[in-house]
Amino acid sequence: MSNIVLEAENLCKFWGGLKALDEFSIKFYDKQIHSIVGPNGAGKSTLLNLLSGAYQATHGVIIYNGKPITSAKSYEFCRSGIGRSFQKTNIFHTQTCLENCCIAAQQQIGGSFKFFQNRNQNKFIIKAALSALEKVGLTERAKTKASQISYGEQRQLEIAMVLATNPKVILLDEPMAGMGHEESQTIVKLLMTLKSQYCIVLVEHDMEAVFELSDLMTVMVDGQHLITDSVDNIRSNPLVQDAYLGNDDEVF
Amino acid sequence: MSIFTNKSEKLFIFFFFAIGLVIPLFLADNVFYINKISSMIIIAIFVMSLDYLVGRSGLITLGHAMFYGIGGYIFTIIAPEYETVNFWIYTFYVMSISAFVALIVGFIVLRTSGIYMIMITLALSQMCFYYFADSVDYGGFDGLFIYIKPETSIFGFNFLDLNNESHFYYLCLLSLFNCFVFFKVLMKSSFGRVIDALKENPERATALGYNIFHFRLIAYVIASSLAAYAGYLFALQYGFVNPSMMSWEVSATALVMALLGGLGSIYGAILGAFAYEGLHYVLEHVTQYWMFFMGCLIILMVLTLKNGLSGLLSNLVGDKENE
Ligand SMILES: Nc1ncnc2c1ncn2[C@@H]1O[C@H](COP(=O)(O)OP(=O)(O)O)[C@@H](O)[C@H]1O
Ligand SMILES: [Mg+2]
Repeated sequence: MSNIVLEAENLCKFWGGLKALDEFSIKFYDKQIHSIVGPNGAGKSTLLNLLSGAYQATHGVIIYNGKPITSAKSYEFCRSGIGRSFQKTNIFHTQTCLENCCIAAQQQIGGSFKFFQNRNQNKFIIKAALSALEKVGLTERAKTKASQISYGEQRQLEIAMVLATNPKVILLDEPMAGMGHEESQTIVKLLMTLKSQYCIVLVEHDMEAVFELSDLMTVMVDGQHLITDSVDNIRSNPLVQDAYLGNDDEVF
Repeated sequence: MSIFTNKSEKLFIFFFFAIGLVIPLFLADNVFYINKISSMIIIAIFVMSLDYLVGRSGLITLGHAMFYGIGGYIFTIIAPEYETVNFWIYTFYVMSISAFVALIVGFIVLRTSGIYMIMITLALSQMCFYYFADSVDYGGFDGLFIYIKPETSIFGFNFLDLNNESHFYYLCLLSLFNCFVFFKVLMKSSFGRVIDALKENPERATALGYNIFHFRLIAYVIASSLAAYAGYLFALQYGFVNPSMMSWEVSATALVMALLGGLGSIYGAILGAFAYEGLHYVLEHVTQYWMFFMGCLIILMVLTLKNGLSGLLSNLVGDKENE
């Protein structure tokens, strides 16, 4: 099996009395897609927010490439290679799609403290941004304002922005939510190809896509880890079927 | 690559500075009007720096006049009283010291945002106001006087005499032009990209790896030093400084001017400052209740014009997109 890239040990996040995440431990391997499923409110987004540095953990440790990064500043997570997309589309609506990706790429490529050089002069940034747009199939929208593309396309842009930051780990929070079938097929294909380069953590309700893509699956309920196993084992596991998959579509 | 965002901006800047260049020729005998326009240009520089903060960087402050006052005071305090100093060297001094002060103040106020930042900037500037108002060394409410204006030679060439109203006017006009070009270049730069991003969505900018505090601090220091430069010009024009320069009314008025001109448009600061001051001047002569009418007019304009006067101009010219 490949290397462990990202790891959480006994991670907790409490909101007052509510245990959104409770003593959660998990390991993510390089060049794999690891899906996390669970009913609404299970704490999936909370987990991603902790892993991407958006929230501070109540306690527990996050280990990235063998080093603890639990107390790092939230902007340092992205710099060190942990990119994430948001469940609720979070893009720069007044900017073009290309500019959205340029903003993402510039932090890694540099030049943010160049005060007198025109922002479009750095060809590396434009190139990285265009290639990210191309990967998600938004090349034709490069010059369109982000507020003017369809909802599904905005979700694609969200992923393109993550790719533009040149990450090692990609945390995706329901990337296909609200997408049409064709659009989600694009994303499934994209994730298939990305798998060979990145460690991907996928939170997703579209079970068809999850089963198709995942190397490993984790089921979580009420902030707690239920089981982590391969797709086939999860499918046939009676525990999971009872607790979760049994009442099928309703919970999703 | 053009520094202009749209056609209306280009047109306005072209006409404003074309007229600005020739107007002293028509007002040759009327020193009063030349002085009046000079002071409006100085205010426009101040408002422009505020617009960069509020309209472009999303940092709302009610303490910007503090730096306006500090700019004037720094010069008056550090320049020897009865000696002619060099304008450019002291511009450098005034702006560096103000930048340093802004760095420290920014370090404190930028820990907060939104309404808290408004309150803390207001509080700090009022503290500064009372410090100078109560200070015996710095003349209390009467402030300090400048007895000798600086000379402006560069490498022995002296083409501006600051005691000459027209010369001073041209210095102000040149300063405004430089200030405008500077902000436009800054806006279009790679740094400007980050400022745009964190103004629209600071959470996302952080998630993309930007330490937004650093960028805000730099924007704050830049805008504050230019406000100080405007205050320095003000002090030179009138030959004195006093604490009223940094009262909260000055900050608030500048904010109204920026709004009137169209927040974030930069050139709107010129429109806003001139419209406000022009209106002020006219109404003052028509009625003693000028403040009342002025208030009504401004409320009306701010309510009816979505993007201020620059937005109106943009519509008239028919810009495709008004950023
Ligand atoms: N910012 C917050 N403040 C308070 N409670 C929160 C916050 N974010 C999430 N929660 C709570 O934590 C629990 C887990 O939420 P979340 O991680 O969004 O679940 P999921 O993504 O699996 O649907 C929910 O009960 C939710 O109400
Ligand atoms: Mg969620």
